[in-house]
Amino acid sequence: MDCPTCEAMVDAYVDGELSARDSVEFEAALAICTDCRQRLEAARTMSGLLRGLPADPAPDLLRARIERELRAIAGRPHERARERMRWAAVAASLIVAVGLGWLGGNLTGQGGRQSDEMIAGYLRVAMAETPVDVASSDRHTVKPWFVGRIDYAPPVHDLTAQGFPLLGGRLDVVDGRKVAVLVYRRNQHRLALTVWPAATAGNTSPDITVRDGFALARWRHAGFEMRAVSDLAPAEMGSFATALDKAADSGS
Amino acid sequence: MGLMSDAPEPDGRTPDNRTVERFRIVVLPHLDSAYGFARWLARDPVAAQDLAQESLLRALRYFHAFRGEEARPWLLRIVRNTWTDMRTRYAAESESLETVENQVAAGPDPEQSAEAGERRRHVAAALAALPAEVREVLVLREIEDLSYKQIAGVLDLPIGTVMSRLARAREKLAAELRGRLGRRDHGLSDL
Repeated sequence: MDCPTCEAMVDAYVDGELSARDSVEFEAALAICTDCRQRLEAARTMSGLLRGLPADPAPDLLRARIERELRAIAGRPHERARERMRWAAVAASLIVAVGLGWLGGNLTGQGGRQSDEMIAGYLRVAMAETPVDVASSDRHTVKPWFVGRIDYAPPVHDLTAQGFPLLGGRLDVVDGRKVAVLVYRRNQHRLALTVWPAATAGNTSPDITVRDGFALARWRHAGFEMRAVSDLAPAEMGSFATALDKAADSGS
Repeated sequence: MGLMSDAPEPDGRTPDNRTVERFRIVVLPHLDSAYGFARWLARDPVAAQDLAQESLLRALRYFHAFRGEEARPWLLRIVRNTWTDMRTRYAAESESLETVENQVAAGPDPEQSAEAGERRRHVAAALAALPAEVREVLVLREIEDLSYKQIAGVLDLPIGTVMSRLARAREKLAAELRGRLGRRDHGLSDL
């Protein structure tokens, strides 16, 4: 094999696109051609560097926008559609229905953008195959996981006895700040609880609203702002908040 | 060019419920790929979202003509063609370069060393700086992991051209990286 031939095969070799016969020929040629060995190394290095770039998944708001369009075209998703699709649709409509209002006055009180970010975070919990970054029903596993990942220690309580087993936790970003999201389960429903240190003192009782069959709760307890979203019935959302506050007060 | 001329026209009917459900199952799982490709074509996160959304909706309109081929290359081809149609709207390409650099800088990177992060920023910036013709072939091969045959389908090129363009693209990337590292002297001399 002459060098121009072998040179032309370098990239196809790196990409695994040579036939078995060509590969054997190429490797034989390579053994006696320093130039082509260098080319091969260079091509492999470039390939490796590009493959080392972090994956950049589609933003949740993009998913929500597309979901909204699909819904507008087809109407509500079919009853038999997978659960996560139902969640996606509901959460997408939540963005429209709730808009900027519901989460207003949260982290920095600027409303707007961080509200969208938080709702997008619920989408992530609702739609992801793995809704949590740390999967454990043991609060002694979940709580330490947040150490070094966010700048506060979120209250983590297992509410299995009250019918809300802890699934785990994950991080979300709201207004550029990392916040803790705890994910609970009630039967086949998921519940996402976003928690961050309150700027004002005093407890408030849960304010529960319903949109599109979606229960939203916001309250402040023991120094933390709480925002919960689920497709539970509002009464059950109320039980959740009560159970959580009780657990916080008893330190369990 | 490409898909829009040789594929059937959209049939003008609103896709029915069943079509949308099938679309969700077959095409929607490839949204991450569509967005990833869009990001490297547009080199701007906002434009990339617009491009991905427009592409998905276009894909739905053309979905009646989908014949069960591989969905991901099929969708990426639509992204590529949609970008060809949209890019004039985003003519100010050059000012997007910093955005790509910054975006990679801001990405989630909790467990990695600073040096590794620094290296990735250089690689991303070098890739973003390449001409579209070689950039897209690199992205399809290395990031989307498509075969030569699939890339040929997405870009509407002969396989031989894909191969030679890829060889040229890797050389250009190496040169671009050398230029950057030489200029900034970050001690990544092992490239």
